[in-house]
Amino acid sequence: MSKQVHGWLRKLIWFGVAVGFVAGFASSVVVIRLDRIVRTRFEGQRFLVPSRVYSAPSILYPGLDIELADLRGTFVRLGYRQAGSDGSVQQGQYSWQKHRVRVHLRAFEHPTRSEPARDVVFIVRDGFIEEILELPVGRTLGAVLLQPEQLGAYYGPDRAQRELIRLEALPLHLVDAIVAVEDQRFEAHPGIDVRRIGGALLANLRAGGIRQGGSTLTQQLVKNFFLTPERTLKRKVHEAVMALLVELRYDKREILETYLNEIYLGQRGSTAIHGVGEAALRFFGKPAQNLSLAESALLAALIQSPNGISPYRNPEGARGRRDLVLGLMAEQGRIEPAQRDAAIAEPLNLAAITADPGDARYFLDFLRVQLSDSYDATVLSSQGLKVYSTLESRTQRLAATALREGIEQLERQFPALVPDDPTRALQGCIIAIRPQTGEIVALVGGRDYQLSQFDRCTQARRPSGSTFKPFVYIAGLEPRVGGPVITLASFLDDSPLEVATPSGPWQPRNFDREFHGRVSVREAIERSFNVATARLAQEIGIGRVADVARRMGIESELPLVPSLALGVADVSPLEMARAYATIAGGGVRPQVHAIEDLVNPAGETLERRELRHKRVIDAGTAYLATSLLQGVAHRGTAAGVRSTGITGPIAAKTGTSDEEHDLWFVGYTPELVVAVWIGFDEPRSIGFASSRGALPIWRRFIGELTGGQIHGQFPRPPSIVVADIDPVTGARALWGCPDRRRELFLEGTLPEEVCPGGAVAGSEEDGRQRTQERFFEWLRRHL
Amino acid sequence: MNRTMRASRSLAATVLVAWGWIALLGGCAGLIRAPRGEALRISEFEQLGDARRRASTRLVVEGLDAEIASTPQRALGRYERAIQIDPGNPFAYLALARYYAAIADPERALEHLDRAQSLLDPDGALYRSAEPHLWGLRGWALVKAGWLADAVPLLAEARRLAPSVWGDGRLDAGELR
Repeated sequence: MSKQVHGWLRKLIWFGVAVGFVAGFASSVVVIRLDRIVRTRFEGQRFLVPSRVYSAPSILYPGLDIELADLRGTFVRLGYRQAGSDGSVQQGQYSWQKHRVRVHLRAFEHPTRSEPARDVVFIVRDGFIEEILELPVGRTLGAVLLQPEQLGAYYGPDRAQRELIRLEALPLHLVDAIVAVEDQRFEAHPGIDVRRIGGALLANLRAGGIRQGGSTLTQQLVKNFFLTPERTLKRKVHEAVMALLVELRYDKREILETYLNEIYLGQRGSTAIHGVGEAALRFFGKPAQNLSLAESALLAALIQSPNGISPYRNPEGARGRRDLVLGLMAEQGRIEPAQRDAAIAEPLNLAAITADPGDARYFLDFLRVQLSDSYDATVLSSQGLKVYSTLESRTQRLAATALREGIEQLERQFPALVPDDPTRALQGCIIAIRPQTGEIVALVGGRDYQLSQFDRCTQARRPSGSTFKPFVYIAGLEPRVGGPVITLASFLDDSPLEVATPSGPWQPRNFDREFHGRVSVREAIERSFNVATARLAQEIGIGRVADVARRMGIESELPLVPSLALGVADVSPLEMARAYATIAGGGVRPQVHAIEDLVNPAGETLERRELRHKRVIDAGTAYLATSLLQGVAHRGTAAGVRSTGITGPIAAKTGTSDEEHDLWFVGYTPELVVAVWIGFDEPRSIGFASSRGALPIWRRFIGELTGGQIHGQFPRPPSIVVADIDPVTGARALWGCPDRRRELFLEGTLPEEVCPGGAVAGSEEDGRQRTQERFFEWLRRHL
Repeated sequence: MNRTMRASRSLAATVLVAWGWIALLGGCAGLIRAPRGEALRISEFEQLGDARRRASTRLVVEGLDAEIASTPQRALGRYERAIQIDPGNPFAYLALARYYAAIADPERALEHLDRAQSLLDPDGALYRSAEPHLWGLRGWALVKAGWLADAVPLLAEARRLAPSVWGDGRLDAGELR
């Protein structure tokens, strides 16, 4: 019997040993696997941080119209908050009075344009900044740069946004608040807290369901970092083992820092907010290191249920939980009762919601393409780069509004334009470039990004219609051996024309289906006569016209056919804007760019786009072209630009392609070139001309942007001379000529003929006339 | 005695009238002439122009100060901001042209110089005071590009117009400020 018992016992022991061995082996394998997962994640790149895109900074200076600059809106978008009633203005706050706006600007770090935190007062008179003073000394400042606004970010598939922070940079009360409410024995336990698990079990048993969690910070980190959110025993075991492994391998500070950067703290639109750094920016508009005790307690409060007690949706719930956190902190001796009471008395004091402005999404896509050579989608969505762009936030918003509302207005006026299928709706785009620098300051590639992500400004190629004509006139006006083909005193022939082409005779017609005979150069372009322009292009040579267009920035293929002169070539609005920027910039073609610089999280500049320009046409010819296009905007097909009372220099050209498929309007002021295109993605007739479709959008945009007053002037180069001509013959109008008008010429291209009955060139009267002209010209320039 | 007094009074009146004319003419001339000095100094134009131009020019001066203080990156940032608020400010391009000539990037220096020149009214007083720099910076950039033969006459012209500034064939930030 005892032998039998012994035999069984021995077998049982051996079985136990075998099972123990197998179980031990299996668990070792699991532990080793989990350990490898922990090490790989912790020792590799822990976080994927989306790269952020910023606008150009706003600059405030004496003389600035605060309404036009949208000063208050800018403060709100930058997360500045109204100061309290006690008179103090903390960093990130502003106070607004009729004649005095005080703002305590936050510091801004950047390799070339860092700005210190400063307390600044704007003295405002009649809506304009009169003076800027820096407090407390009252030093006068010439200009103040605000930090750039975030336009958006390049998210990964999880659309998680975070701002990485270092533990040592955080205020102690933030760490204390989180530890107090989430894991008060964090410093003592080895990754799992048996006492806490026991307490939670008891509480749940009493409640008859799961009411309390027993997870430590380390376990929460492991759950978010490595595991799926499913609630199974296996996952719980893995969580506990991994928590122990994490604690074995890494010190508490490292674990805490990772937790603080990882923790989920809510949602803003489709973007998930992770980490206290990002949450501080989103909820309070300030870096985490500047959080107050009450603000820190609120962030700690949110961890339990970030969306359930979101302070925006459920302020009472958020406040209640915040006060609970403050109570726990006092209970655990982390703060004094007086500090608790003072923090509880504080309101939530949240920053305004500043979701990613959707207006800039086409621009963000364009930037991504520009960056893609060195920085692909993976890098952009994970490396936390900062892309400082050229986009001007207010200009962009106005452009987006002008385009959207302009198209909607057209649809109200012409209901036939509205198709049954919204994806086939009338579309449009608008792009604005600074001619002197080539910076894209606004880009809206369509009326609704959610409906269609196709960017019609940079990706579409459409026939440019009459907006191509200036290239013909520039080719005609350019100096060449034997003199230019035309001057502004020349006349063109607008009578029937037939040009032989390989596909048969080509007979251009005018928009009004009539011929106008002998017309001046100015009249031909101001009224956009096709036949006169086509004949001029024939005289110049189509190859030469194409060459001018290419030099000015048209990169699309240009077919060398007679109809090129009338804009049959497919080009993009971006190209047209660049070409017109060349005219506006006095013949110097700017390198169009959208990025100022690219900075890594360490604050080092990775890439920098410098201003580049190249002279491609002579300054005098460019000035003559501008003068012609000013005539178009003053008397010609684009005269409607001034119908709402806009004053100041404008040069512009309308363009309507065959069968009214494409409506173009490209116009410029001394400081901005704006191209507008309207049409259907699948070309069909719109039924009216550009002056009714694209022009009103341009006018609305520029009117809003400038307040109706365009400043500056087109600088006149030294090679331009002014002389009177006889408007009937185009000859010089000297002393004795009955009728005359002033005209511009390149030096050495004045007409040799004199009007009938006028003085002879070189005679005494002629000399007197020239002296008078020179004197008045001198007076004009100097007074 | 009376005659002497009368003579001295009429002399005084003549001197006074003559002085008045001189002052009037001088004043008129002052209105249309650039600030005194043999070559343009940007800080003298800080108070000229509209609000944007003044703010922009102040930023250019701050940029030159930054260069003097050996913080060239900050200077570059200032020039770019100056252009942002007033893209038609020739001083900003002039300062950039000097900056690039100084760091031996002649191509960019010449590009900015072209832009500055295109923004200056050739018949204006400003152009005249900027002329030594337009000649000199072009020459300096060409020296950096290794085109000495082309550079020499340009630098000689700059030296002739503003010997104290262009005597050494280069333009310091302080000299442009």
